[in-house]
Amino acid sequence: MGGSSLNKPELIIDGKRRDGRSFRDLRPIKIEASVLKNAEGSAYIEWGRNKILAAVYGPREATPKHMANPNKAIIKCRYQMAPFSSLEGHSRTGPNRRATEISKVIKEVFENVVMVNEFPGSEIDVFIEVLQGDGGTRAAGLTAASVAMANAGIRMKDLVYAVSAGRIGDHVAIDFDMIEDNYSDADMPVAVAPRNNDVLLLQMDGGFTKEQFAEAKELILEAGKTISEIQKDALKRVYDVKGASE
Amino acid sequence: MVSMRKIVVPGTVVSDHRLSMDNTYVDGTRTVSAVVGLFDDSRNEVIPLEGFWKPRSGDIVVGVVEAAGRNGTYKVVLTEFVNGLIIQDKYDREHYMPGDIIEAKVRDIEHKVLAVLEEPRRLEGGTLMNVKAVKVPRLIGKANTMIKQIMDLTKCSMVVGRNGLVWMKGQGVAEATEAVLRIEHEAHTSGLTERIKSMLEKGENRNT
Repeated sequence: MGGSSLNKPELIIDGKRRDGRSFRDLRPIKIEASVLKNAEGSAYIEWGRNKILAAVYGPREATPKHMANPNKAIIKCRYQMAPFSSLEGHSRTGPNRRATEISKVIKEVFENVVMVNEFPGSEIDVFIEVLQGDGGTRAAGLTAASVAMANAGIRMKDLVYAVSAGRIGDHVAIDFDMIEDNYSDADMPVAVAPRNNDVLLLQMDGGFTKEQFAEAKELILEAGKTISEIQKDALKRVYDVKGASE
Repeated sequence: MVSMRKIVVPGTVVSDHRLSMDNTYVDGTRTVSAVVGLFDDSRNEVIPLEGFWKPRSGDIVVGVVEAAGRNGTYKVVLTEFVNGLIIQDKYDREHYMPGDIIEAKVRDIEHKVLAVLEEPRRLEGGTLMNVKAVKVPRLIGKANTMIKQIMDLTKCSMVVGRNGLVWMKGQGVAEATEAVLRIEHEAHTSGLTERIKSMLEKGENRNT
């Protein structure tokens, strides 16, 4: 939505999207779990041209002490884009308005799936570092963080995934890249707990009609099956050590 | 011992009935895994592949004394978020210094994160290493087979704490460390006792 309407590129060429995908196609996704030795859990995701590292530390003693909750663990999340991650605008260090917002919404997603009652007084840290961004980084970051969380052995009710759906003119499509994100008419990242299809995050930029929203929902749930499989596969691959047998 | 084991992830339904199992939760009528683990359907249990030690009474733990409290109490670090507390009898007190390594048994758990310890024993000298707490049962083995084997073959004395700290002392510390690391890495595979045995025996021949 951020782009100027004067130099808007063609988003649909011959009934297909700029990169040749149909409206239902995801970009290629690759996840690798347990990539960082010093983190309790970690994951690296390549989602189209997005490259994101997620790391999870904890549960450990909550600091500062007054933040600790004696009944449950607190979750802290830091989403950050590296200075070199995109064409402009991330060179200043420290969190900006956008990073603070994304960190907050991701934190709230995990507060709903992590069994926080098991570790009272502790904190769980989630770090999401975007190395290269090309649209949909919050969805990709959350998907990776979820794998990192499971890799850390933190008890969760479900393995969350996230993906965005949006609208180009009258067409509802899934998984926007940067250009589509900037010039589309609506963009809606959604995080879902796949077992019961509980929606844990839904942000919308632009608007949908009722029918378009239903279509977007259907696209997300369908794409979610693919993403979930990739997540599970990444976790399983960690234990394919040589000499292993069932 | 042939049983079907499959890898489960958080959210995988392990049973359509309500079962009381560790590392799972009940949702409606189904039992769902909460961790990445191996589900053994013959024994109906989820063995976690990653995770943390949750204190239980009766667990043997190894910890480091952090501070002395009043009236012969001591605070002991067990893991990053679980502390131990030594409470002693009025007439029969042992003195510890911060930094002392102790072995003890968990008596009670308070607020899920404080373990009251009993029968503390100071471990003199030696080295301390960290393993993942979920791998400790494998390191100990059925009826202590694995740990006894390592102690016999490396001539080390070892104490394995359920909290993931391993204390060892003796001439074969290097070999023992290597064996422990290998067990940690291959804990979910079968035939491991034999592989560790051959690995340590080869090492023995090399030394002589």
